[in-house]
Amino acid sequence: MFDNISKTLFFKTLRYACNQCYVCRNKTTMKVIQPMTDVPFIEIEDLYFSRGDHEIFRGINMTIPRGKVTAIMGPSGTGKTTLLKLIGGQLTPDRGRVRIDGQDVHRLSRKALFTLRKRMGMLFQSGALFSDLDVYENVAFPLRVHTNLPDPMVRDLVMLKLQAVGLRGARNLSPAELSGGMARRVALARAVALDPELILYDEPFVGQDPISMGVLVQLIKRLNQALALTSVIVSHDIKETLSIADYLYLIADGQVVAYGTPHTLDANQDPRVSQFIHGEPDGPVPFHYPAETFYRDILGQASAVKAR
Amino acid sequence: MQSNIKYSAARIARLGRKGCDTMESLGRAGIFLAQSAVGVPSREGWSLWLRQMHFVGVLSLAIVLVSGLFIGMVLALQGYTILVDFGAEQALGQMVALSLLRELAPVVAALLFAGRAGSALTAEIGLMKATEQLTSMEMIGVDPLRRVVAPRLWAGFVSLPILTIGFSVVGIWGGYLVGVEWLGVFEGSYWSNMQASVSFINDIGNGIIKSLVFALVVTWIAVFQGYDLVPTSEGISRATTRTVVYSSLAVLGLDFVLTAVMFGGL
Amino acid sequence: MKRSKTMEFGVGLFMLVGILGLVFLGLRVSGMTLSAPSDTFRVEANFSNIGGLKPRARVTMAGVTVGRVEAIELDPEWYDARVVLRLNSDLEGQLSRDTTAAILTAGLLGEQYIGLSIGGDPDVLEDGDIIRDTQSALVLEELIQQFISNMVSN
Repeated sequence: MFDNISKTLFFKTLRYACNQCYVCRNKTTMKVIQPMTDVPFIEIEDLYFSRGDHEIFRGINMTIPRGKVTAIMGPSGTGKTTLLKLIGGQLTPDRGRVRIDGQDVHRLSRKALFTLRKRMGMLFQSGALFSDLDVYENVAFPLRVHTNLPDPMVRDLVMLKLQAVGLRGARNLSPAELSGGMARRVALARAVALDPELILYDEPFVGQDPISMGVLVQLIKRLNQALALTSVIVSHDIKETLSIADYLYLIADGQVVAYGTPHTLDANQDPRVSQFIHGEPDGPVPFHYPAETFYRDILGQASAVKAR
Repeated sequence: MQSNIKYSAARIARLGRKGCDTMESLGRAGIFLAQSAVGVPSREGWSLWLRQMHFVGVLSLAIVLVSGLFIGMVLALQGYTILVDFGAEQALGQMVALSLLRELAPVVAALLFAGRAGSALTAEIGLMKATEQLTSMEMIGVDPLRRVVAPRLWAGFVSLPILTIGFSVVGIWGGYLVGVEWLGVFEGSYWSNMQASVSFINDIGNGIIKSLVFALVVTWIAVFQGYDLVPTSEGISRATTRTVVYSSLAVLGLDFVLTAVMFGGL
Repeated sequence: MKRSKTMEFGVGLFMLVGILGLVFLGLRVSGMTLSAPSDTFRVEANFSNIGGLKPRARVTMAGVTVGRVEAIELDPEWYDARVVLRLNSDLEGQLSRDTTAAILTAGLLGEQYIGLSIGGDPDVLEDGDIIRDTQSALVLEELIQQFISNMVSN
């Protein structure tokens, strides 16, 4: 059935998958390549974006190094997901540019953009599994569209990816039968199906129970090391993100407030940074939505009645 | 006085803005149609199209055939009571066949199709949008217009004419049941009057052309509403309603225009 | 993959229903015959008034349909209506030259058609010949007018 080339390819993928596999991580033999200097993979320059009258970004500058886990954090509603969509080329900025591996994402033709996207994987908050396909077909989807591999080969690759996320046994389930955590793991298997160079994670930890949260954290970490991936994580779960991120960017009010390693940010004295990192309810980011003073809102009407 | 002027100026501005919005969304819909219609042939396109044919066509067959049967029967019953006053009940076959082929089959089948398949298409695509499936498809490097929208568009375009033909056949048979079997119109004159008056090109052909136009319009509206909606549960339910309303209006309006062109000697 | 097979079967059946329906409409409802166009021949007849005769109207002989009206046009020479008939080819060489063509009405208000009645001439009509002996349509208004003027003169 298999000629020699397929056989070598098969064993190569098998070994490689074993390395990325969560179960046998301690027996890994693959050398993790650690570049000595950080080569920028994504460069964001002076990015402006607004939706209607609402300005979301006002001049964002970012450099995301190759082969590292970079986290983008910030309070809810600061447009972190929008930033990922700008990187993925789904939205076009008003000003500024995003370069991935030297290519300006928003100047590419549609075809070139789709070619570039083959090198990216994205994990959506909801998993975004295709509801008309089962788990197996979901993971096989990128392989089927972008490669001409024969069916047995696709099958083996899908099994390896599913093994890596521990869901080989769930291959015949439909997405509706999966729990949220399982759906996200299947989506992760799908995102790495084509062995991308870059993975964008959109809120990977939201709404997970502690066990699947731990599993996900480990998976992301392992995948990044085993595949020498560049990872961008958008999140506001501080503890988990700090535990796996090499670099952190903190955005608020449409601008980068602070960046650095988790360690330097922890010691940062900027009140906005420390409020976020340490989760304090009061600080420069107010707890209350802007309103008139409490006293006037409650008693204003009563006093107005009394005055009459 | 001045505030009155200001008020009406604001109203005119709002009207203008609404007009611009409408034009804009019409333009989006046109571009959308052009982009998805070209994306049909691919290695997998066939099986995707087949799946949609099953969903859009085969599953709508039952409701369309049953409605066709009843409409044919009612038509024969009503026609008979009118024609018998003139002693012209032999013309029943002609009346049933012509009204079905020219008007009722294309229009009623299209309305049923909008309600049964169109709203389901909108809801399905809308749900795919709301759960980020379309975005994630785009990020995998697959154009959702080609993968999701094109097979549905083509399936709708092919199925509605078939459904319309089925509707006519069953309706004419229903008319036969009521007219000939029940009311006692002579069987020979039912068929021969029909054959003498129905022209294949002018009546059957034009009916099929009508249903092709309706098919395009209804599926276009359905998939566009699904693709363009606000991805929330409220947005989906609104878009589904809009699909049924817009496509019903479009079908009835276009029917008048097409009838005027085809049979009205325009 | 079994589900996909039944689906394919269903869609195939669906398409078949469409094709069969179209065939039914063609043959049974519009009365097309598969061998129609080849074996007919053409005859012309001039009428001074055709009333409500339409193209595709029936041409009958003793009540049996033997052909159809193909075209109706104004003859610019005589200013009357030239009607082109297409008759079954079994009748070619069978109809006498003095065959009469009359425009008749089915019932009181029904459609108008052409009735042929055979003459006694030994010569026969061939393809492209012209029927000389014609009877125009009865126009109700003219009949009424005649009736009234008769009444008045009486």
